[in-house]
Amino acid sequence: MLKKFLNLLRKFPIILGFIGVVVLFSILTNRFFTLSNFLNVFRQISINAIIAFGMTFVILSGGIDLSVGSVFALAAVVGASIIKGGNVFLGSLAALGVGAAMGAFNGAIIAKLKLQPFIVTLATMAIARSFTQVYTQGRPITGLPSTFREIGRGELFSVPVPIYIMFAVFFISLYILSNTKLGLYTYSIGGNEEATRLSGIKVIRYKVTIYTISGLLSALSALILTARLNSAQPIFGTGYELDAIAAVVLGGTSLSGGKGTIIGTLFGAMVMGVINNGMNLVNVSPFYQQAVKGAVILLAVMAERSE
Amino acid sequence: MDEPGVILKMEGITKKFPGVLALDKVNFSMKKEEIHALVGENGAGKSTLIKILSGVHKPDEGKIFLDGEYVAFSNPIHAIEKGISVIYQELNLVEELSVAENIYLGKENRNWWNLGKKVLIERAEKLLSKLNFPISASEKVKNLNVSEKQLVEIAKAMATNAKVIVMDEPTATITEHEAKQLFSLMRGLKEQGVSIIFISHRLEEVFEIADSVTVLRDGKLISTGKIDQYDKNRLISDVVGRTISDMYPKENTVTDVNAFEVEELSVPGYVNRLSFNVKKGEILGIAGLVGCGKSEVALAIYGGIKAHAKKALLDGERVSLPTRPDISLERGVLLIPEDRKSQGLVLLLSVTKNIVLPNTKFITKLGHIRWKEGRKISGNLVKKLNIKTPTLSQKAENLSGGNQQKVVLAKGLVRKPKLIIFAEPTRGIDVGAKVEVYKLMNELANQGVGIIMISSELPEIVSMSDRVLVMHRGVQKAILEGENINQENIMAAAMGG
Ligand SMILES: Nc1ncnc2c1ncn2[C@@H]1O[C@H](COP(=O)(O)OP(=O)(O)OP(=O)(O)O)[C@@H](O)[C@H]1O
Ligand SMILES: [Mg+2]
Repeated sequence: MLKKFLNLLRKFPIILGFIGVVVLFSILTNRFFTLSNFLNVFRQISINAIIAFGMTFVILSGGIDLSVGSVFALAAVVGASIIKGGNVFLGSLAALGVGAAMGAFNGAIIAKLKLQPFIVTLATMAIARSFTQVYTQGRPITGLPSTFREIGRGELFSVPVPIYIMFAVFFISLYILSNTKLGLYTYSIGGNEEATRLSGIKVIRYKVTIYTISGLLSALSALILTARLNSAQPIFGTGYELDAIAAVVLGGTSLSGGKGTIIGTLFGAMVMGVINNGMNLVNVSPFYQQAVKGAVILLAVMAERSE
Repeated sequence: MDEPGVILKMEGITKKFPGVLALDKVNFSMKKEEIHALVGENGAGKSTLIKILSGVHKPDEGKIFLDGEYVAFSNPIHAIEKGISVIYQELNLVEELSVAENIYLGKENRNWWNLGKKVLIERAEKLLSKLNFPISASEKVKNLNVSEKQLVEIAKAMATNAKVIVMDEPTATITEHEAKQLFSLMRGLKEQGVSIIFISHRLEEVFEIADSVTVLRDGKLISTGKIDQYDKNRLISDVVGRTISDMYPKENTVTDVNAFEVEELSVPGYVNRLSFNVKKGEILGIAGLVGCGKSEVALAIYGGIKAHAKKALLDGERVSLPTRPDISLERGVLLIPEDRKSQGLVLLLSVTKNIVLPNTKFITKLGHIRWKEGRKISGNLVKKLNIKTPTLSQKAENLSGGNQQKVVLAKGLVRKPKLIIFAEPTRGIDVGAKVEVYKLMNELANQGVGIIMISSELPEIVSMSDRVLVMHRGVQKAILEGENINQENIMAAAMGG
């Protein structure tokens, strides 16, 4: 039992990091280690975690998706504008559709034209943000129906709905990565694209799928935040790509692809979330908070290197 | 600790990896100005011994003496400074840099970037032409094939003032022609006082070039001595632990039905209007020097690179040249690619996952992979090919070079094809396992499969082929049959004669 746990820690050092930050903040403040705070933290984490799960697929395949934050915003405003008109289902579907389409576009350009994912998604990041501004004329969309708000605010057995969604996405991703062709190919494309191609795998098709997942999940995350805030804002998602990438990297996934886990990403997002929440509780000035997060990422990457 | 004439002594070297005892109290000693061959089965521990010498791995036990002085290198740079230069089995070039930059990377003249590109390239050109290697110094390494990369690695080692040069299977990826050049180079170095450790599975080469030999098996020292204390049979039995009566068993029966036929196959820049056919049950050898276009022929038939042909027939039916590998797989055409590192394996994935990769179709339903069946398939092939690995979930990168090659072969043995292209199938494989691979080819041929074997190893081409197509600079120079298949004829045609 203990041995199993130690093995787990060796495989996922980020779990140790998670325990570390939880203990640290529990000592620093008595408002941290409470059930209600935990539920609160997890609800906050769900936004980043869901994007980061999609990012995990992309990074495992040897790519990167910088457009997730802008796609998040575009999906939010498109969805919200339809939902505001009364059709919650259609609006949500439209939001997810926008996300998936943007992702598919990224994937198609990257795979078909063999362009650098960094550059391509940097471009779509700008384009999607611009679309969002044009679509909303820079104004937030507010006043959404209460049925929709449940996605972000509702609770089931006293647990917030976003947490259920996050874990559902987590388990589906876990299943896909470990038990399906898509999962195997995601790893193999990231590990050696040429060998994968010569093994008769339609690399282009799978790359498109992978980026589509990333776009789709950032749209799903956007729906949750929109529902929670009862508003979609054109500046939504700014900097989210960095938070997602940070969670993935903290979780031990290699930026060069082919190596990493979805469990690592979950804990990576949890560590980031706990640090955010804890720093607020102990009144660390927001001016310092980014520096602390940056330092944590550096530490994690250095720890991984030294292995 | 001074023994006259001994340049290097490794004593009681032990090295464990998880689940593997790679070296078990191995002693190794080498004289000055000696070419010392290190031989043994796949996974015997040769590369590990070298990596311990050069500071890549730390030994669990044991000591190393260089020129009588106790040394313990903590990293390869340290070893280079002490005059040990290593050509590793896995090539380690910077793909994005030019050949010249790779050759002088990290060399004593540390500010080579101050030299200016031109001087650097001139220097490298000079070295390459002295070595007689047909590579351009200004070419980016990523545009070279494995053989050419191997030549760059050799040039790189030659550009140092090393006391001891270690070559881990330098000839595995080059043809006999280039190997001959390498050997005359090695003799020259020896005269200049350099000592060389030479690893190879081609035992003929060992007899040709080595002064002494050391044999390892399963991490243990089996024998060591002057080369004249060995004959071929003794060396083989020391290596594999048994005698082998027939190195090249040939038991296939050629039919007169074509498995595959192509007219005027061209790959722009590499292959010019090649026409040939393979019968069911036949092994067609394709030979030629490095860069003659034979690698590209393999890829072209399989849909791995852009190519065109006037006409192609598979199993008697007109087909268009495949544009993607998956099309070939569907048709029953398989390729065992020549370079395991860049084309054959995903090193970060396990043995099972690598074997399953091109074969998911057989164990997948609605995208769900039944890993239990995957493990069964890979378990069987690991047994059949005698792949040395502690578990099926071992990452391919932790296998020895020859065992990695066997995994590449295993990937192609799950399906029953109509045509199979073996590109350098025995590259890096030990003598015992080679025989098993040839038997496998016979078995496939006798099931009616057409076999194309592209190889740089002349003995294998001569002994296993029913016909041999010889290429020179992208064109067909000869198709040899029967009595005419011999090394002289092949070499003559390969040189353009
Ligand atoms: N990094 C590693 N991690 C785990 N096991 C390893 C590692 N490197 C080597 N081994 C194991 O150690 C044994 C010896 O490997 P080594 O590479 O020295 O063999 P070799 O004699 O060079 O074989 P080959 O002829 O196939 O190149 C093998 O069983 C191999 O699987
Ligand atoms: Mg080796």
